Amino acid sequence: MTDATAVTDATAGVAGVAANGDPASPVRPLIAVGLRFVDQRPAVNPLTGAVTRDPAGAAFAPADGAALEHALRIAAAWSGTVLAVTVGPAVADEALRPVAALGVRVLRVAAVEPAPAGPDRGYLAELAADERALAARLVAAIRTVGEPALVLCGDRSSDRGTGALPALLAHELGAAQALGLVDLRIGGDPPLLLAERRLDGGRRERLVVPRPAVCSVEAAGVRLRRAPLPATLRAARAAVEVLEVPLATGGVAAPVVPEIGSARAYRPRPRVIAPPVGTARDRLRELTGVLDRQEPPTVVQPDSAAGAADALLGYLSRAGYLQPDQTWPDQT
Amino acid sequence: MPDADRVDAVVVGAGPAGAAAALELARAGRSVVLLERGPFPGSKNVYGGVVYGRVLDAVLPNWWDEVPVERWVVRRSTMVMTPTQALSIDFRSEAWGSAPYNGMTTYRADFDRWLAGKAVDAGATLVTSTVATGLLRDEGGRVIGVRTDRADGELRADVVIACDGVNSFLAKEAGLLPRAEAKHYTLGVKEVLALPREVIDERFGVHGDQGVDIEMLGCTAGIPGGGFLYTNAETVSVGVVLSVTHLAEAKVRPEQIVADLKAHPAIFPYLRGATVKEYAAHLIPEGGYGAMPRLYADGLLIAGDAAGMTLAAGIWLEGVNFAIGSGLAAGRTAAAALAAGDPSAARLSAYPADLHRSFVLADHKRLRKAPEVILSERMQQRYPGLIADLMEGMFTVTNPEPKPGMAALLRRAAKRNGVSLRDLAADGLKLGRVFR
Ligand SMILES: Cc1cc2nc3c(=O)[nH]c(=O)nc-3n(C[C@H](O)[C@H](O)[C@H](O)COP(=O)(O)OP(=O)(O)OC[C@H]3O[C@@H](n4cnc5c(N)ncnc54)[C@H](O)[C@@H]3O)c2cc1C
Repeated sequence: MTDATAVTDATAGVAGVAANGDPASPVRPLIAVGLRFVDQRPAVNPLTGAVTRDPAGAAFAPADGAALEHALRIAAAWSGTVLAVTVGPAVADEALRPVAALGVRVLRVAAVEPAPAGPDRGYLAELAADERALAARLVAAIRTVGEPALVLCGDRSSDRGTGALPALLAHELGAAQALGLVDLRIGGDPPLLLAERRLDGGRRERLVVPRPAVCSVEAAGVRLRRAPLPATLRAARAAVEVLEVPLATGGVAAPVVPEIGSARAYRPRPRVIAPPVGTARDRLRELTGVLDRQEPPTVVQPDSAAGAADALLGYLSRAGYLQPDQTWPDQT
Repeated sequence: MPDADRVDAVVVGAGPAGAAAALELARAGRSVVLLERGPFPGSKNVYGGVVYGRVLDAVLPNWWDEVPVERWVVRRSTMVMTPTQALSIDFRSEAWGSAPYNGMTTYRADFDRWLAGKAVDAGATLVTSTVATGLLRDEGGRVIGVRTDRADGELRADVVIACDGVNSFLAKEAGLLPRAEAKHYTLGVKEVLALPREVIDERFGVHGDQGVDIEMLGCTAGIPGGGFLYTNAETVSVGVVLSVTHLAEAKVRPEQIVADLKAHPAIFPYLRGATVKEYAAHLIPEGGYGAMPRLYADGLLIAGDAAGMTLAAGIWLEGVNFAIGSGLAAGRTAAAALAAGDPSAARLSAYPADLHRSFVLADHKRLRKAPEVILSERMQQRYPGLIADLMEGMFTVTNPEPKPGMAALLRRAAKRNGVSLRDLAADGLKLGRVFR
């Protein structure tokens, strides 16, 4: 190990490992994976900002695939079972079936169906909605199957993209969290759940993750395995279990969904500017200050030449061009 | 639901041919698996843009009410061009703009998905992201299934229908398509360009869901082939089809030819300000009737582009309807053979017979000389100029000189373009015979 790698304990202390994490425990630990089904290339109208989703372009993000692969590997090590949960519309079933073919139990929490054609307001509202409520629904769905020992997610979804969901899941579950991991494996003696994540300056941090825990992983290091043909065939026509989980779940109040009335281009309210007064010449003078800043000319009308000279000298002294007490050579 | 490793039939490729074959088999109550290498049907497929749906009338009544359509083609133009001239024959029909319609522009990602969905609704099992890597055979050489690229990937079936598209590896492995001769293939290259709906409506003189199909001759830098321009709802597809052998000889990049077409004075005004959304290229089997392989073997049928069934006779470029027509027939033949418990070659030989009775092989047989004539040197390199010069002569006012006679104009245009009047007469006769 180089000095660029630090070994740290994760937040909740190692005590959890012994309590919950004994791989020899008779109950098979449940490993849940949260998958987010997203149109990877939604059409966004550049003028109006309206979003149109296309189910053909929808899939789970690569980071979600990595989370699933980690779940399968850890489940094999722990003799556990894997549950994949997504909150998504009915077309997400198509993406869940290949997941089921990997021997994973799949569960879909019904969500806003995409608009049949054109811009998708419900979706925008869903995106803007309280993420904690989403976490509560996911946890409620997972708990219909059992108490998870580990929940895995991709590090961030490609549409909402806050990366906050795993933390909210950990909060809901009262579990430890280790987010944005580049590696997650069982290692050491006794075997522990070891995680690795990036730090600034190219450093890495190694964590021992207690259980229960929520981990989010980057799309790095692993690639989702492919299911064998027989399982793929069986899953291809299998029904996907669908749950209706109400928005208000697990003590979280139903979120106030911001009403998105219409999606329009950003057009700031115009500032009211008073119309100009006076002639164009006046405005030019006003803007440029031409003539204004000058002192009005002084017309000197003395009785004699000497008086005129005195008046001029007086002016030059006042204006600072001459010292007041300066004497001049006698001209005579 | 099929047995995990044994089904009545496997259809390889969920393009139009495969979806149609699976639909017929499923409707006949057979267990059928439809294998597709892409993540969803239509994800891998490239074509120009117009599907003629009449072939669906018998199997999906009122298909037009639900098919994913971009625009219904109501205007069809045939353009003969030189670098600086263009003559259009422009036809428009209101009848094509309402049910039962004629042609439609549609994206293959939408259309193929929809058609495969019909097969799934009827009971077929669609398996995506899976490549058929080879055929399973028994000792007698009879095809008894396919091998795939998944673990435990052998799938046994009484009949395999290869609908894996142009340059079919399965047909080759079965020895039906012994040698791919480059001269029987063209390369299709196209761009999809985004334009606002109203701009398309205005520039092409259409409204609502009306669309336009423009076919072009003389826009391929002397390489045998042609061009096309189709309107979708908010994009246009523009591209060329080029003889593979001549393209290789010419040492021109295909995208250069598309760029030149887009800049042509007759085409540029349609496209001004458009932005490229997609670029694609794909082979087309253009050999026609004479170059088609044998269509069946023991336990095996081939349909669609795998069997070289695109009709590309100059002003026609129809492949999807021929793929669907042959797929349906293959599905029916396979279902009948399965019902009789005899998927032997003798039994499956009913398939080409069926195709000869339908448009699929009837059209191909009648137009079998068309590829040769249309792709001939004179047709491609000399006649567009001759016709354009003739037109320019006719419509250029030469005052104070009196108007020249038609015969003189024709002689002059023929001479300028290096065509003898004898060639002209001979080709006229030939064309008459090919398209009679
Ligand atoms: C540029 C261009 C323009 C065209 N324009 C038109 C047009 O305007 N109108 C028209 O009607 N036709 C047009 N065609 C022709 C048309 O595209 C084809 O005739 C038609 O797609 C043939 O359908 P198919 O089902 O036989 O094959 P394909 O559509 O090629 O489908 C084959 C399917 O098999 C899958 N596959 C291949 N190998 C395997 C394997 N080993 N395992 C699993 N799956 C496999 C592929 O992924 C694909 O989905 C055009 C073609 C081109 C290239």
